[in-house]
Amino acid sequence: MSADVTVPSGRVIGYGRAINEALAEEMRRDDRVWMMGQDIGRMGGVFGVTRGLQDEFGSMRVRDTAINETFIVGGAAGAALAGTIPVVELQFADFLFTAADEIFHKLAKWRYMHGGQFTMPVVVRLPTGVVGGAGAEHSQSLETIAMHVPGLKVAVPASPADAKGLLKSAIRDPNPVLFFEHKGLYRVKGPVSDSPEDLVPFGVARVARQGTSMTVVATGLMVDRVLEAAEQLAPRGIELEVIDPRTLVPLDIDTVVGSVEKTHRLMIVHEASRTAGFGAEIAAQVQERAFFALDAPVWRVCGTDTPLPQDPDLEQACIPSTDEIVTAALALAAI
Amino acid sequence: MSGESTPESASREQTQVEIYRKVVTIRFAELRIRSHVEKEGFGGFWHPGIGQEGLQAGAIAAMRPDDYLYYAHRGLGYAYAKGMDLVELFSDLLGRATGSTRGKGGGTVHFADAEKHVLGQGGTLGSNFVMGAGTAVSSQLLGDDRVTVVFFGDGASGRGTWHEAALQASVWKLPVVWICENNGWALSARFEDQSPTEHVADRAPAYGMPGVIVDGQDAMAVLDATSEAVERARRGEGPTLIEAKTLRIRGHYEGDRQPYRADPVLGDEIPNDPVHRLGEGIPDEVRRTIDAEARQLVEEAFDAALAAPKADTSVIFEDVWA
Repeated sequence: MSADVTVPSGRVIGYGRAINEALAEEMRRDDRVWMMGQDIGRMGGVFGVTRGLQDEFGSMRVRDTAINETFIVGGAAGAALAGTIPVVELQFADFLFTAADEIFHKLAKWRYMHGGQFTMPVVVRLPTGVVGGAGAEHSQSLETIAMHVPGLKVAVPASPADAKGLLKSAIRDPNPVLFFEHKGLYRVKGPVSDSPEDLVPFGVARVARQGTSMTVVATGLMVDRVLEAAEQLAPRGIELEVIDPRTLVPLDIDTVVGSVEKTHRLMIVHEASRTAGFGAEIAAQVQERAFFALDAPVWRVCGTDTPLPQDPDLEQACIPSTDEIVTAALALAAI
Repeated sequence: MSGESTPESASREQTQVEIYRKVVTIRFAELRIRSHVEKEGFGGFWHPGIGQEGLQAGAIAAMRPDDYLYYAHRGLGYAYAKGMDLVELFSDLLGRATGSTRGKGGGTVHFADAEKHVLGQGGTLGSNFVMGAGTAVSSQLLGDDRVTVVFFGDGASGRGTWHEAALQASVWKLPVVWICENNGWALSARFEDQSPTEHVADRAPAYGMPGVIVDGQDAMAVLDATSEAVERARRGEGPTLIEAKTLRIRGHYEGDRQPYRADPVLGDEIPNDPVHRLGEGIPDEVRRTIDAEARQLVEEAFDAALAAPKADTSVIFEDVWA
């Protein structure tokens, strides 16, 4: 099931730039694709991700809104019912809660509750995660909450190639997609395909590193930290197999189970709070599917069960560090 | 007035007859549902729209068939007036497989018909404000010349979604018309206890849009007000807020004894009844024929819905994804 990202050109660009390219290519491809959000047009977005798009596509297709999250998401839902494809931005993923009715009821359920008569091709772009002391209401990782409400797809790209390829898939998907872009990755560079038709499919995990000692599932910013940990552990004879699910809905549990059957140990690393995070769901699914393959309990290395403090040092102490991942992996390997 | 009919007046008379046919059919449908709820121990919550049929059918007569409709939760008049099939509507109400939502959203307040451009309704009041404005963005982008009409009650006018939708719709001059059915009650709360202004329409100027007050018991007056608003929207001049003054004849839901209300309207005498208002000027013979046909249509449709099978449990797993 796993697929490596194909990179024909090897061109290296940033994660934010990759998202910008995906938006531009999809808007060129299909006139029905349009965008709205706060400060996305004239300013190019608070993180600069939409820079230049209003210049190319005009202020009708790249719309600056008032501060009105219920309209940004609910309006996108209504627009989708009438034949266009809205891609909207909430400035921070935390603002899911200011548009909760529109996201968890209207986007997720409109098709279902009306007997399948409508499709809801909406993408909500959500800058997520910890970066530079943004505070308790601007730093959360809420992907698990999105995962818990049936009817929403959830993407969590960890690399520029995935950011571009998954966003293009999201825009072409007839279902609502919550697209969690990690703020700490926007400037991180990596190889990205030049071809406008290179898409990364949903529901296909990426094996970011092959290994035999244990399986480690991680998303977003945590993928790079787990890969760093793997580099430190390799000389000590511990080989991590690192799996990035890329989308949590649909979830490629088959790749995780297949890996656990090979390594016999599983650790899940996520930035979101530990309690009832998606790590708990993956742990439960793996023990249902591969209990007898496990030589040790499933471990989780997660964010703290606290709001996030604003001080950048305290904030970093609330999410898994590379050192913590190394320590946890050594302990799990010793069981 | 000479009494001779001009082509224009003939057309208006014809429109009046067509609206009357819809209004009477909706009235019989309301009464049939009420009788079912009273006799059969109905398992849902029916929010009766009786007494408000005139404004519903009158407003929708101002719409083109391809204009978009978001309706409010009181009655099925909107959906029927927009062209939905009565058997489908009754089937939704009764949880039958023949309902437009196949048992998954029907119940009392959700119907939909993509082909008739009836876009459905959310379970949270006021959610249609923002969705309606968004639908109008699509029409503006596609240049398809369609107008979106959003009905809501005076209770829903309190939602913050109204502010966000009205603000953005006016800034972008979106082709949307909002019609408030002000019946004076939001469940147990009186409108005057929820609003600092006498009228909902008083809020319109703050959003740079016209606020129009109309007698909601007069279907033809509602038709005229809505026609003006729809044409304004179609010309690209932006949204309008229409407030149709009406009455809540029954409780919040059928069976609500309204202990909170000192003067509930009881019985079948409807003050300023829109059916009678609309019937004035229509020859008795024509009216009697329409009444009889409407009654028969409703009875047959309700019987057909009652006879239809319940939705199979397999539909639970369908339509989560496209």
